[in-house]
Amino acid sequence: MSWNRKLDRFFVLYLPLLLTMVFTLFPFYWTINTALKHEGDIVKTPTEYIPSSITFDNFWVAWNNVGFSNYFVNSLMIAACTVFFVVIFATLVGYALSRYQFKGKSAFLLLLLCTQFVPAAMLIIPLFIIFKSLGLISNPLSLIITYTTFQLPFNSVLMNGFISGVPKQLEEAAMVDGCNRLQVIFYIVIPAVLPGLVATGVFTFIHVWNEFLFAFMLTNQEENFTLPIGLSYMMGEFNVNYGALAAGSVIALVPAILMFAYAQRYLVNGLGGAVKG
Amino acid sequence: MSKKVHIILTSTIATSLMLAGCGNTTDQTVITDGAGSQTKPGEKVTIVFWDENAGPQRTPFYEELIKQFEEANLTIDVEYVGMPNKSAKQKYDAAIAAEDLPDVGGVQTTWLADFTIRGALLPMDPYFDQWSEKDKLNKQAIQSNRDVVQDKKLYQIPNTTNLDNLWYRADWYKEAGVTPPVTWDDFFAGIEKMTDKSKNRYGFSIRGGKGGSFQLQRLMYAYSGITDYFDASGKSTINDPKHVEFMKKYLGLYKTYTPESDITNGYKEMVAGFDTGAVAMIQHNIGSYGEHSKSLKPEQYAALAFPKSLNGNYVVEGFNTNGYSIFKTTKHPDEAWKFISFLASAPSQSYWNKQIGQLPTHEDAINEDWFKNAQHIQEAVKVLNDPNTLYYYPSVYTPDYRSILDQVVDPGLQAVMSGKNTVEEFLNEWAAAMEKSKKQYEQHINKK
Repeated sequence: MSWNRKLDRFFVLYLPLLLTMVFTLFPFYWTINTALKHEGDIVKTPTEYIPSSITFDNFWVAWNNVGFSNYFVNSLMIAACTVFFVVIFATLVGYALSRYQFKGKSAFLLLLLCTQFVPAAMLIIPLFIIFKSLGLISNPLSLIITYTTFQLPFNSVLMNGFISGVPKQLEEAAMVDGCNRLQVIFYIVIPAVLPGLVATGVFTFIHVWNEFLFAFMLTNQEENFTLPIGLSYMMGEFNVNYGALAAGSVIALVPAILMFAYAQRYLVNGLGGAVKG
Repeated sequence: MSKKVHIILTSTIATSLMLAGCGNTTDQTVITDGAGSQTKPGEKVTIVFWDENAGPQRTPFYEELIKQFEEANLTIDVEYVGMPNKSAKQKYDAAIAAEDLPDVGGVQTTWLADFTIRGALLPMDPYFDQWSEKDKLNKQAIQSNRDVVQDKKLYQIPNTTNLDNLWYRADWYKEAGVTPPVTWDDFFAGIEKMTDKSKNRYGFSIRGGKGGSFQLQRLMYAYSGITDYFDASGKSTINDPKHVEFMKKYLGLYKTYTPESDITNGYKEMVAGFDTGAVAMIQHNIGSYGEHSKSLKPEQYAALAFPKSLNGNYVVEGFNTNGYSIFKTTKHPDEAWKFISFLASAPSQSYWNKQIGQLPTHEDAINEDWFKNAQHIQEAVKVLNDPNTLYYYPSVYTPDYRSILDQVVDPGLQAVMSGKNTVEEFLNEWAAAMEKSKKQYEQHINKK
């Protein structure tokens, strides 16, 4: 490769990639940097870009004093259950939309999308009253139901796209060999749309993992609070605990990063499928 | 296959049932008239307490107070629920609509009118009148709590008072040979002198973002000396010529003597500017003492009262207290009052206010040594104990007072700072919103 081509490649490819990477990773670096600093060093001038002395106290405060140990388990359980329900129901709805013709199908699809336009804040009081009458305030089930309901429409449309990408002939061949409809879904369709399922699961998980408003409004007992509520505790009216806030953010980031690292290859395939569909 | 489907469906139902059992179902609430608890003698009672400003810097002190209370009252358990400050009002709003409220809650004075109009609170007069320490609580704070609600009953017991002040870099002022401001002219001149862009230092930082309206209002009235929020004809004094004059001088500092980023400054950005040594002076209240003390050495900074007004006296905003209320849905008003009276007692107030760096409302707590030795507290006491100090009372009794500040005034201030609006347009809009709100409130009252 000539010197000029190397230079071109550097300016056209490596430099933009490097800048994008720095731009993306800097907030992570800064969060970790803050989490590892002593409280007095965080706002000290001149700014320390590498902590002069490292401490894990902020993690200890977030995990034990603020209650992240409990909030983490709650968030994980609620997110896992929501993902479970959304993936199952979205697959079934997506299959119905893709394979069956029925009256008002287009209107139904439009309606599914329209549900995304309702601001969440408007629904707080009605939802609160409904869950109170069901005795589900401060019960994780109220959040699982709410999140599943909010996530289902969009993910159903997404699954519709994925399933439409699977040739019908595959299903017909399986049926000729004796499969019934459910067997076709489980043995033929689901393996074929696995990347789509992972994409749906990851999007749902991330949304639930970060959701604050409903988690706070529908829960009146601290033992049932979730991670975003724990993070907002660190920002008091007159005090901001930057160290514990950063440590809490790192704790909250870990599952999301692990999940993306695992699901990355499925996500790329999955999104490609949805666009094609 | 059908077996697998069966397993999936069974697991789904089992998971739902399991989760349904995970949380404790909220008790059905009963509206009482405050005529006493529905508790049998000796029966153990749990009261729920919502803290409207929870966090690791404050919650441990509540936990300590609750521990002390439970040790002294073996038949009462207190269940603490901490709420992040930014979302606490929204949570109360939903809970009031659904009548699913705690027994006791931390309630800001500015919320009282709204909550009482919606019938959420229990009047505490019968309890307060029989309380042995009632005469030791700040009478002005108690009276203003009564004045702020329609029926003039007592719905909140204040346990802490706050006061806006200036925080300045005492070391920089000393180095530069500049005297801390005593008059408003000194205030503006000092800011100019302390600005040194070559050192990346600004003389002041304006809170142009969320919450800026509260601070601005307190500065304006402290400057003008006006003590009526509305004149006799119901016209707002917000757009008084003296306020226009002040605003022009004050916002004239922007960009030249303050950082350009001030336009979006919330509390934490403003305080971070001061604590990291980028700014020589900010306006806040004594409550931010804890934040400054984490980053600065005691000799580097100090609190300073606002200069006296153009009329020669201190002018302070009333209703700047926080306290506790009993919610009307409580089944245990007696126990709720017992808890509130414990929190409002001298030892509790002393402990609490010492930790959070604010002013107690209890006479005995004010006379303690820690209180007399704290510079920032003494600066506030100097103002509050000055016989010539006057109060103005904004229209916090109108239910939309807070939303006007948040939705009209905060963005309006930014519009002036960005040059989209003039000071006059901004203050006229603010005044008109307050006048309209007052008129609607009075029409509502007159209908009743």
